[in-house]
Amino acid sequence: MSESSVTKPAPVRRKLSAGPLSTGDKWFFRTTSIAASFAFVLVALVLIFLSLKALPALQNQGIDFIFGNVWDAGDDNNLIMQIGPMLWGSLLIALIGVLIATPMAISMAYLIVFMLNSRLAKVATTLVDLLAALPSVIIGLWGFYVFTPVADQWASILNKYLGWIPIFQVENPEYGFRGSPFIAGWIVAVMIVPIITSITREIFSQLDKDLINGALALGGSRLSVFRKVILPTASGGVVGGVLLGLGRAIGETVAIFYVLQISFDINLGQVLETRGGAVASWILARFGEATANEQSGLMAAGLVLFIITLIINSIANVIVNRAQPWRKD
Amino acid sequence: MTFAARPAIQPWRRANKKRIWQIVAASVLPAILTGALVLLTGIDPALATVVVFLPSQLVLASLVGFSAYGRRGLGDAALVVLTIFLSAFVMVLLLSVLYSVLTEGAKAISWQFFSQNNVYVSGTTSLDYGGVGHAIIGSLLVVGITTIVAVPLGISMAIYLTQSQSKIKNLVRTVTQALSGLPSVVSGLFILSIITSGDFLTKSGFAASLALIPLMLPTVARVAEEALKLVPADLRYAALALGAPNYRAFFQVILPAAKSGLITALLLGLARVIGETAPLILTLNTNNGTSLNPFEGAMATLPTYIYSYLSSSFAPSQQRAWGAALVLLIVVAVLFGLARVLGRSKSLKTKPTNKKASK
Repeated sequence: MSESSVTKPAPVRRKLSAGPLSTGDKWFFRTTSIAASFAFVLVALVLIFLSLKALPALQNQGIDFIFGNVWDAGDDNNLIMQIGPMLWGSLLIALIGVLIATPMAISMAYLIVFMLNSRLAKVATTLVDLLAALPSVIIGLWGFYVFTPVADQWASILNKYLGWIPIFQVENPEYGFRGSPFIAGWIVAVMIVPIITSITREIFSQLDKDLINGALALGGSRLSVFRKVILPTASGGVVGGVLLGLGRAIGETVAIFYVLQISFDINLGQVLETRGGAVASWILARFGEATANEQSGLMAAGLVLFIITLIINSIANVIVNRAQPWRKD
Repeated sequence: MTFAARPAIQPWRRANKKRIWQIVAASVLPAILTGALVLLTGIDPALATVVVFLPSQLVLASLVGFSAYGRRGLGDAALVVLTIFLSAFVMVLLLSVLYSVLTEGAKAISWQFFSQNNVYVSGTTSLDYGGVGHAIIGSLLVVGITTIVAVPLGISMAIYLTQSQSKIKNLVRTVTQALSGLPSVVSGLFILSIITSGDFLTKSGFAASLALIPLMLPTVARVAEEALKLVPADLRYAALALGAPNYRAFFQVILPAAKSGLITALLLGLARVIGETAPLILTLNTNNGTSLNPFEGAMATLPTYIYSYLSSSFAPSQQRAWGAALVLLIVVAVLFGLARVLGRSKSLKTKPTNKKASK
């Protein structure tokens, strides 16, 4: 292509162009841009196929699909499918998870960046990343056999001593607290601590050291530097990280499927009460015996889940990217 | 006007011996107190930790802080104690997961557990028979097909994000990042909706691998992009200035330099999908025999194996779930460890690269 023969006296004046010149380059960029457009294609395909399948259920139920609270699959010709309680349950569990995980994740990030020496910090980072790499089915297994009895104990203590607070009230404490959103929230927290930690750590470690040293030199203490310097400058990124965690928590499926005892009933916020559920777990639970008509409702539930997580994740990513200007190319 | 003589504070000096003993005492005494209380009164350990250990720890640490730095030491002590307590709690959770999988799983592990399948196994069959061999093969096949599709695609995306001058690059990056939060169950439902809408696809290992692609792709693309970004742009410009077209600059200069980073992307992508369960449950029927055909019929995989034995009420079946979890954990740990080792050499990478480029 670009080889010119040696005998030629002067090369022909090349056309100046910003685009790729050789055919090889054209194909190179063409292939990669096709690959890149696959990201859009994938999102579009998921939306189209799920919508197609979800349409009957959505048409049948209308807006009540999201806000209603009846799921009656008894009569296959006249199904009532509304996921209100499950959707609210997903949000409740995710909220509990985020409330538990955020302090732990910020502490962990603070410890890694500002308190440990570099060797220990590396070890701690590796351990947190390892926690992130654990498959959710293993967390579910651990949650089912090991963590549930422990958390059950915690829940009974909370109920015993703080039961006067409405959210810790339970109608029948003698039945135990297994399968409550509280325990599922803990499991979700275990899953999202590494996500929030890694983003917070990244933001903390890129903070202007001069700012921190200046504050210390002016007589600031650890606490005042943390409150007045570190948190205000890092808050954007931390909020983004927390939102990412929230998105993950809402979509979490298998880990809480076993821990959670689903009852199709709205649980407004009595976190220790074994009532309520989560959309993803509901899909998994109903899927086995679902008829084609009911599957349509489950697809619609998946569609709602997808749209919610897509919105939360996009907002979170925009915030995180804005908080990390050093990652721009 | 005279100033009262103040003791010279020397913040640059390391903590003296007295202070170290104070700190040790402040950390150990509450633990001893709590331990004694739990043993003597039988109070619940969790309750004791929150009601006795943490407050006494805070008070003692504040005393030490106050004696060292005056009033500002109080807040510092609280911050340090809470930070260490919460971080230690995270570590306890992680170690609890690892410990329980290792100890419970080890009871099920034997050579035959790796090599045999579960054809003649019922819920109560003792652990001397049957194993996860078929599930290991199934997992390898399913994840292998996913890898063949997702890794070249993800790396191409990363190339696009780092090499091209396109204007919609940021949009592509945003969508890819948003995809990384795709709930795994939705990915499964997506493939299931394709399966139920026609005859193109049946429930099979292949369908399951398709369901894993949207989950693996964002991870591979992100890590590969980071790896490609680490290669100094000057190398690429030098190659282009020497007259190389973009694709040769990529294949001959950037690719060799970013090789270990791209392998890291592959490994982290594998670690991400090898344990995915929900998509497999929706798109693949599990079975007890060995199946080598990913395009037809049922197939067992490690995650679905754990899933199906997890809630069994029979002790041997529960042990099988733990054993399979240990196998899965080992696979993930190996992938993760390899990725770490390869990722570590990142900072050293520019040196050999320069040599290669100057040849």
